[in-house]
Amino acid sequence: MAVRPVLRLPATALKVAAKPVGTVDDAALDLAADLVDTMRAYDHCVGLAAPQLGVGLRAFCMDVSGHPKARSCAGLVVLFDPEVVAAGPAALAREGCMSVPDLTGNVARPATVAVRGTTPDGGERLVEADAIEARALLHELDHLDGLLFLDRVVSADHLFRRRRYR
Amino acid sequence: MVGSLVMARFAVSVFGRDRPGIVAAVTRVLADAGCNLEDTSMTILRGHFAMMLVVTGPAAVDAADLAARLDPVGGRLDLQVSVRPVTDEVTAAAGGQGARYVAAVYGADRPGLVASVSEALAAHQVNIVDLQTRVVGEPDPVYAMHFDLEVPAGCADQVAADLRAVAEALGVQASFEPDEADVL
Repeated sequence: MAVRPVLRLPATALKVAAKPVGTVDDAALDLAADLVDTMRAYDHCVGLAAPQLGVGLRAFCMDVSGHPKARSCAGLVVLFDPEVVAAGPAALAREGCMSVPDLTGNVARPATVAVRGTTPDGGERLVEADAIEARALLHELDHLDGLLFLDRVVSADHLFRRRRYR
Repeated sequence: MVGSLVMARFAVSVFGRDRPGIVAAVTRVLADAGCNLEDTSMTILRGHFAMMLVVTGPAAVDAADLAARLDPVGGRLDLQVSVRPVTDEVTAAAGGQGARYVAAVYGADRPGLVASVSEALAAHQVNIVDLQTRVVGEPDPVYAMHFDLEVPAGCADQVAADLRAVAEALGVQASFEPDEADVL
């Protein structure tokens, strides 16, 4: 398995909704291994989705172990065809992305989330997360729908949204 | 920047009463002049629209040419326009020194709030990356400032303490929080 190049904007593959993996086959297992190897190759990278490797399949990996903002920690998570089954109220935080270097933005996302998907051994796994782990899950799931944090960023002057001109 | 030809870089500023079509009119002139927009900031300030743009253009274009091209638009939309060459060599991602923090300061409006707070920051070589301020409300106006900051290593605690002291002396509220982005 291998560390693979991470696509960056303006790569159009990042903006395409990925297709279901369905039955976990050898190709899916290879993809999962590459996702993990590539994520591990970069400091500060806590998650990676298949479209970032140019693969249009619904697969991602995530690991927030040791992250200073982590509360919940499910360890290494690799899921195919994940879906959100529950989400709490939103919180705002600044995000960056391997595929959008040099830019960050404030993004509102549910502060708690439950995600269910298929594991590499073909089983089902439910991950209940909060804090940075919830944010990472939702960021990766967005990649599977062709969405980047830039699609969700809140205006820099969000504190001042109420305008009163006379 | 587009292309490898020698390019000239300009700072263009535009200010005038807000109305639809200002951005379209100004940027169309710049595009037709062969200019490429780089970093820009454009926003409404108290009912006026303010544009600040760094643009590159062909080496044959100079600031006076650009100003002359913008003159008809400025006249038609009642805009104050200025163009000046930018010769400083800076990288696209200027700054990057120190840790990112955000600070919010707000309270009853009074003269000198921004000066006092920013002096406290400057004393520690804190760099203001972005500052937005608004004054809202009558008859007792509230002044609100939001800072994005780069704080040199090792002095965040002292900056926080000094901000609190300045805020207390001015009778306003201040918060100061780390704002490192998470790369996901």
